[in-house]
Amino acid sequence: MPLFGKSQKSPAELVRSLKDAVTALERGDKKAEKAQEDVSKNLVLIKNMLYGTSDAEPQTDIIVAQLAQELYNTNLLLLLIQNLNRIDFEGKKDVAQVFNNVLRRQIGTRSPTVEYICTKPEILFTLMSGYEHQEIASNCGTMLRECARYEALAKIMLYSDDFYNFFRYVEVSTFDIASDAFSTFKELLTRHKMLCAEFLETNYDKVFSHYQRLLNSENYVTRRQSLKLLGELLLDRHNFSIMTRYITNPDNLKLMMNMLKEKSRNIQFEAFHVFKVFVANPNKPKPILDILLRNQDKLVDFLTKFHTDRSEDEQFNDEKAYLIKQIKELKPSEH
Amino acid sequence: MAGSGHTWPNSQDDYELLDVIGVGATAVVHAAYCRPRNEKCAIKRINLEKWNTSMDELLKEIQAMSSCNHENVVTYYTSFVVKEELWLVLRLLEGGSLLDIIKHKMRISNCKHGVFDEATIATVLKEVLKGLEYFHQNGQIHRDIKAGNILLGDDGIVQIADFGVSAWLATGRDLSRQKVRHTFVGTPCWMAPEVMEQNHGYDFKADIWSFGITAIEMATGTAPYHKYPPMKVLMLTLQNDPPTLDTGAEEKDQYKAYGKTFRKMIFECLQKDPAKRPTATELLKHSFFKKARDRKYLVSTLVTIGPSMETRVHKASRRQPGASGRLHRMETGEWVWESEEEDDDEDDAARDRPMNTLERADSSDSDDDRAAFTIGSAGAPDARQAPLINLVLRMRNARNELNDIRFEFAAGKDSADGIATELVGAGLLDARDADVTARQLQRLVDDFLFPAAGATAPRSLTFRLNSAPPEPEDEQSLIGFAQISIVD
Repeated sequence: MPLFGKSQKSPAELVRSLKDAVTALERGDKKAEKAQEDVSKNLVLIKNMLYGTSDAEPQTDIIVAQLAQELYNTNLLLLLIQNLNRIDFEGKKDVAQVFNNVLRRQIGTRSPTVEYICTKPEILFTLMSGYEHQEIASNCGTMLRECARYEALAKIMLYSDDFYNFFRYVEVSTFDIASDAFSTFKELLTRHKMLCAEFLETNYDKVFSHYQRLLNSENYVTRRQSLKLLGELLLDRHNFSIMTRYITNPDNLKLMMNMLKEKSRNIQFEAFHVFKVFVANPNKPKPILDILLRNQDKLVDFLTKFHTDRSEDEQFNDEKAYLIKQIKELKPSEH
Repeated sequence: MAGSGHTWPNSQDDYELLDVIGVGATAVVHAAYCRPRNEKCAIKRINLEKWNTSMDELLKEIQAMSSCNHENVVTYYTSFVVKEELWLVLRLLEGGSLLDIIKHKMRISNCKHGVFDEATIATVLKEVLKGLEYFHQNGQIHRDIKAGNILLGDDGIVQIADFGVSAWLATGRDLSRQKVRHTFVGTPCWMAPEVMEQNHGYDFKADIWSFGITAIEMATGTAPYHKYPPMKVLMLTLQNDPPTLDTGAEEKDQYKAYGKTFRKMIFECLQKDPAKRPTATELLKHSFFKKARDRKYLVSTLVTIGPSMETRVHKASRRQPGASGRLHRMETGEWVWESEEEDDDEDDAARDRPMNTLERADSSDSDDDRAAFTIGSAGAPDARQAPLINLVLRMRNARNELNDIRFEFAAGKDSADGIATELVGAGLLDARDADVTARQLQRLVDDFLFPAAGATAPRSLTFRLNSAPPEPEDEQSLIGFAQISIVD
């Protein structure tokens, strides 16, 4: 903290010094080291303004409002995110903290930062591309998930071409980045039910052809996580029409039957929760019915022996018994 | 990632696994060698098929690590998936954990009047505090500070490890995160009273309590209530005055070598009111830490006397699930007691906890099994020989959520009444239900140990609770009822 007690800098001055410092850092000339220091220092001052410290309360609403306004006017948020990889380790975390705090700011029912970002979607796309860079991926993820909580921002991300990059990000080799990307991906596909359902319906073919690759991934975690999410998506009543569409495709059924037999018990279990929807469907299309009939005896036998040690999970056992009964009673359709 | 830009490879083939240096419930830790970097590291292999908590929990643990860049916090390099395992690549600390060193020193020398001198304790704890200070400034609570989670490098560096239970806590006006945590995690002996009580939530100060217990551990070799089962520890911590250096002493003045300043520091950390405990930053200014020396000093007092890597390897592979572990409240609301590495003297086979007695009860493969089942031999010379029965009490909590409370019953050692009292003491059971629970528990255990001829003993009993609210009861969904079961 400064030598003379509290920082006397106004929000406008702070934002200006930070912007100058980031710009210098971006240029990368010989003053870079000094710029690095200035960036860190000013970020801490702004963070303290918003969050307070152990000795000081956060600043008043008026000051915070001024600060937010300055951030919008100077487009500093975007500049910070674009240069995130140049900022030091603690500074990167400070950027995320400042960003998320300003994002959550409300005036009555309005969220001014959300409105601002809607006019600057580049901020979202820059954040999404952060998953390409190991050193900033988790900081960007923190900010993205905060953005995804707002329907307007989630919509921009879902309907952008960049959304399909997530299918790549969730599979990168560094586990923490892949999982971080997966939780953002999941948030986007599940948080705002109506928006998600509409998105999945409109883009069904594109999304599910990409999704198929995740289910077939070499990576165990990707397979397990994407299968679990698939089950959640299909069983969400908002996604009813997506579910009905999914369970008419015999390829999807074949995939689930193969996954039921995977070595991993966790994957078997998740596959069960997708498989059951195919069987429970009262109006099975002929190709689906044919597959089930062809495997009728084998399936009954398989399910009877399936995860018998889960004796405490009543719902599972009820569902399993129901499936066995359904499959036993299957008859060729009359058409 | 905390390193300055240079990356660690994400391919299994780039690493050569060396000795096993630690074993946990779902993970094995190896020393390893990274070929492209020509550098040693530690690899924690987590079996994801056995990992029953959600992946999100795991991600949180790793994010907690990767968001730290401090010399006193374990250094995380990278992580990747190998078949059904997750490999975490970490800095290798060759000195092992402080607990390893304490146990070793107690084995090779007489530590009756204290394990380490004050200068060593101050030096280690000061480093731990610096790590904690960073942690807390970062908005994190560690929640499991203890000697077993403090690692030592052969250059005398001290790092806090095991983020398995660390939680995020927002500072300041961050509305998206709750200000205080409401989960029940940690190791009972080191656990702060407010964490046990669970009714107000807790904050950073919980780590300061555990830090105080760790200080006692470094002096006496164990946490004050280490002799007692977890539920009893909860009770003692909540009911008694805070422990001191002398709490576990067998004779007067046993620890008189330790001075006033040290005792004062411990006293300040172990105040029941968290608000009265100092912060990590304040503690660093405590005069006790003026006694701290440098890393070289630790090399001479700890690293060189510590167990060799080989000894620890041997030990790691022989660890038995024991009394040390975590009572863990899962996302599902389930309470799980996770056993962890324990201290028992491996040379003394009699001290091994009979975790397999349950199997013996089912598969009578030996003739003298019967002897182990004598109930009522309370005060037997080695109570650890008593057969252990794993039980689950399933009931609804105050918020009407279904909870599983898992616990062990050592026949001949535990009494049903005692367990019920412990459950009440730990705030898990309404006092009005203590009697009925004890009766049902006794019945279940008795039938299990001494089944009537020709009859199959029930594995589970459902019974009505006295505390049941007047609303409609339902035995099936355990509204107004509880269920106690034996689990394998």
